[in-house]
Amino acid sequence: MSETLEEQTFDLIPLLAILEEYKNQKGAIIPILQRTQEIYGYLPKPVLKEISKRLRIPISRIQGVATFYAQFHLKRRGRHLIRVCDGTACHVKGAMKTVDVIHEQLQTPPNGSSPDYKYSLEIVYCLGSCGLAPVVVVDDKVYGQTEPDKLVRQLKRLE
Amino acid sequence: MIDKATITIDGQKIQARYGQTILQAAREHGIHIPVLCDHPALPPEGACRICLVEIERQRTLQPACTFPVSEGLVIHTHSPKVIEARKFSLELLISDHPLDCMTCEATGNCLLQDLAYEYGVTGDRYQGEKHHYPIDTSNPFIVVDRNKCILCRRCVRACAYINGVEAISVFYRGFNAYIGFGADSTMQDSPCEFCGSCVEVCPTGALWPKMAIGKGRPYQLKSVQTVCTYCGVGCQIELQVRNNRIVNVTGVENAPVNQGFTCVKGRFGNDFVHHEDRLLKPRLRKYLLEGGKREGKGRGEWVEVDWDTALDIVARKLLETRDKFGSDSVGLLTSAKCTNEENYLMNKLARQIIGTNNIDHCARLCHSSTVAGLAISFGSGAMSNSIEDVTQQAKAFFVIGSNTTEQHPVIGMKIRQAVKQRDAILIVADPRQIPLVDFATLHLQHKPGTDIALLNGLMHIILKNGWEDKAFIEERTEGFEEFKAVVEQYPPERVSEITGVPQELLLEAAQLMGQNKPMAVIWAMGITQHTTGVYNVFSLANLQMLLGNMGIPGGGVNPLRGQNNVQGACDMGGLPNVYPAYQPVTSEEAAHKFAQAWGAPMSTKIGMTVTEMIPAAKEGKIKALYIMAEDPMMSDPDTNHVRECLEACEFVVLQDIFYTETAPYADVLLPGVSFAEKTGTFTNTERRIQLVRQALQPLGEAQPDWQILCEVANRLLATSSSTSGRTIDLQAPYARWDYRHPKDIMDEINALAPSYAGVRYERLERGETFQWPVKDEHHPGTPILHVGKFARGLGKFAAVDHIPPAELPDTEYPMVLSTGRVLYHWHGGELSRRAQGLLEIYPKPLVEINPEDAQRLGLNGHRRVRVTSRRGSIEAEAWITDRVLPGMVYANFHFPEASANVLTHAALDPIAKIPEYKVCAVKVEAVE
Repeated sequence: MSETLEEQTFDLIPLLAILEEYKNQKGAIIPILQRTQEIYGYLPKPVLKEISKRLRIPISRIQGVATFYAQFHLKRRGRHLIRVCDGTACHVKGAMKTVDVIHEQLQTPPNGSSPDYKYSLEIVYCLGSCGLAPVVVVDDKVYGQTEPDKLVRQLKRLE
Repeated sequence: MIDKATITIDGQKIQARYGQTILQAAREHGIHIPVLCDHPALPPEGACRICLVEIERQRTLQPACTFPVSEGLVIHTHSPKVIEARKFSLELLISDHPLDCMTCEATGNCLLQDLAYEYGVTGDRYQGEKHHYPIDTSNPFIVVDRNKCILCRRCVRACAYINGVEAISVFYRGFNAYIGFGADSTMQDSPCEFCGSCVEVCPTGALWPKMAIGKGRPYQLKSVQTVCTYCGVGCQIELQVRNNRIVNVTGVENAPVNQGFTCVKGRFGNDFVHHEDRLLKPRLRKYLLEGGKREGKGRGEWVEVDWDTALDIVARKLLETRDKFGSDSVGLLTSAKCTNEENYLMNKLARQIIGTNNIDHCARLCHSSTVAGLAISFGSGAMSNSIEDVTQQAKAFFVIGSNTTEQHPVIGMKIRQAVKQRDAILIVADPRQIPLVDFATLHLQHKPGTDIALLNGLMHIILKNGWEDKAFIEERTEGFEEFKAVVEQYPPERVSEITGVPQELLLEAAQLMGQNKPMAVIWAMGITQHTTGVYNVFSLANLQMLLGNMGIPGGGVNPLRGQNNVQGACDMGGLPNVYPAYQPVTSEEAAHKFAQAWGAPMSTKIGMTVTEMIPAAKEGKIKALYIMAEDPMMSDPDTNHVRECLEACEFVVLQDIFYTETAPYADVLLPGVSFAEKTGTFTNTERRIQLVRQALQPLGEAQPDWQILCEVANRLLATSSSTSGRTIDLQAPYARWDYRHPKDIMDEINALAPSYAGVRYERLERGETFQWPVKDEHHPGTPILHVGKFARGLGKFAAVDHIPPAELPDTEYPMVLSTGRVLYHWHGGELSRRAQGLLEIYPKPLVEINPEDAQRLGLNGHRRVRVTSRRGSIEAEAWITDRVLPGMVYANFHFPEASANVLTHAALDPIAKIPEYKVCAVKVEAVE
């Protein structure tokens, strides 16, 4: 899969606009990568290579930054990001059950995506809403005291 | 200002300099502080915590590698607290490190192992999760075993601060962190150039040279310090030898040129020495043994013979030819691969015994226009400055016609460092998008063969704006007014039209040149290999005089010489117009000097160049050719014509280490030896004379080339009869050929070549290193030429006009071919195609073609092309790349199956007789 993704072509025009914006600013790799991720959803290798070529920043340095920070994603992600909290309170309340059900019913493994790239699943540690445990955040929306089957139904309704 | 600080280390008071770290000060005073991540050639990192020391009045232990000295520091390097801390760090490192020292290649050369031994760390204190990375053996040169990596980042820094491409970095964080390449790919898919600097600095067995695996422990190897045999940079290397085989190559830390680092060829390309193609016994054509005559074009079967038989026949045939057809019917090709001593002997053989000036070598094909041009402009044809002052002090670099990072990689690395670390200006002028362009301030992508117009255009702008150095022009030059009149004819509009370089870029470049002094000009074949080669060189000399950049550190004219000893081969008289040290053969005084020294009459007639000798063989003017370690079938232009000429030549002796592409046209093959099997000296591009030390016994029955030449010469002397009318007075001081060691030859060179007068083996063996002229045995050598005064007195401005190349594209042959080399190969490929790793990474010839042309030719996906010129045709794979301009193709001459020289033409520069390899007209077709 990743092989074919490597070959995938990307529309570089929005990237060029970002690079233009930062062209006179030294040390702007992080904001550039953040903006790039906003456009493509993740940081595809061909896009990183293009950044490297145009900014004359060695690709290894960009790769180093992109892998160092947890905020950057190097694998393609689904349209909807499901973050299941497995902090202490959520764990006790059965967060891993939610993970298993999502994995099974939406074919979305933890830290992976569904084959149709509709969903990506991440396990995170404490979202700071322990009173609502178990907590799941889907894109920007918080779901509290979740029940796995109900959550899956809600997720299926997403576009 | 006080610049010294008194500090106390382990009770010893020392004077340290401000700006130094504790570690640097300790090292300077021979005080041992252990390290893992620190390396003297790299900036401090402070990552490994092994160099922690206790400093009085400091709350915690401090890393000696980053802590700056200041007055009154009291430091303890081995207090109980320090030792405990080091042990702790080592225990942690070893808790995730394989304990397989008994089979690890690095045993005996591993800092971690040494420290574990020193601190009694066994690895059983902490048990935890361990990494199990797969070992990456996918590239031909370096094995990557991340399990042995301690994340000291030495390799990361070496790639950034020595090489400059930054192919290596640390990916991910914490326990998941590892050393990775490029976009987390293999080394070969990253920008890595395989210089091996990372291997050189790796403190453990994480990065290891593939060729050395299983070949012996570091302490089982004999280490011999010598000089690399590839390019003219002159890197010193250490050959690691076991059982008369080179098993590994490492850098020499205090080497003046390379400070311990090399390029891929120097470090990983020396296994050619042991290739099965080595000639190990002399060979003759059968007809020679039978006393018969050669019939037709073919030369018949080979027979292996003993040395005496081969040498007797060579001597007899050479003598016969000389006596029957005259001295000038013999031609000798000497070798830029061989030592100074051997080149001197070849020159002596030609001039003393044969009596001809028909001696030349491949310098004709690379820098003869430089030598001729600079000799006319300044009075000396060599690189004026040193690699060190140029790369460390130039404020700007103008690199024109030099693909430095691929052809002179170690100098290329240093230019990259100058740009990266001290913001030096880099202007690249090249028709191709060469790798150095990625680091350049400006790239002037001019059309092939328009260098004079470009340079005149830049100088026009410099003059218009008053950026020239008026005082320098006034005091040190002549011919300025005439030059100025010509340059006035080159306004930006016209220059832009001829060269294709936009006017804004011309203006910007001229301004950078005018306002950043000193500027060093660096060039190579892109300037010289034109029918206007000498004029191109004049233009560069003009530019540097105009800007006042001559005779100063960081400036100068810096032609980068190609072969390891091409400078030396020229210095030793391997040219048809000069004796050693450029004493002209036409000078009565010089002729007298050498006649007295060698006891024979000297010819004052300038001999033939290689580009004249080869055609003369076909015309019957040259009857015998003695070729030492040259391969005209690969290196000379218009291969098909060279073949016809060699076929026609009556008698060809080839002395070489391989059965080369030229060998089928030889009558006798004399097996010489590689650089690893002999002693002598090489002179590098910056005129530095360095000692080549024998590391191996000659393989098979092969013999050092100087010994073969002595054998031939002594036979000629013994049989040279009165019938020839050429008598040699053996009582003359240097008439004899009884050298017991190359040192004896150097003694003779000292006496006869003034610029080498003080080049003594005793000095070289002591580790002294110097650049000629070395006027006497106490003279320190001359790092910069033309200081205060040019060798010829005043520098001579030359007024030169743009002249188009000899063969321009037309409707039948619509594209321009330019030729050259690639990083992983060397010249005709005789060595590099026989180095396993180099061949593996670049296995076949590629023809570079622009995507626009590729599309026009219908090369979508179909990537094999036929390139045809008026002289021949080759087929090769196309590399579709914007490295070349539309309308241009680029091919190399490393592979006989598709050598660019089948296509090139022998249009010569009228002065230097150098062929125009860089421009000829071709057509390109897709191959079905």
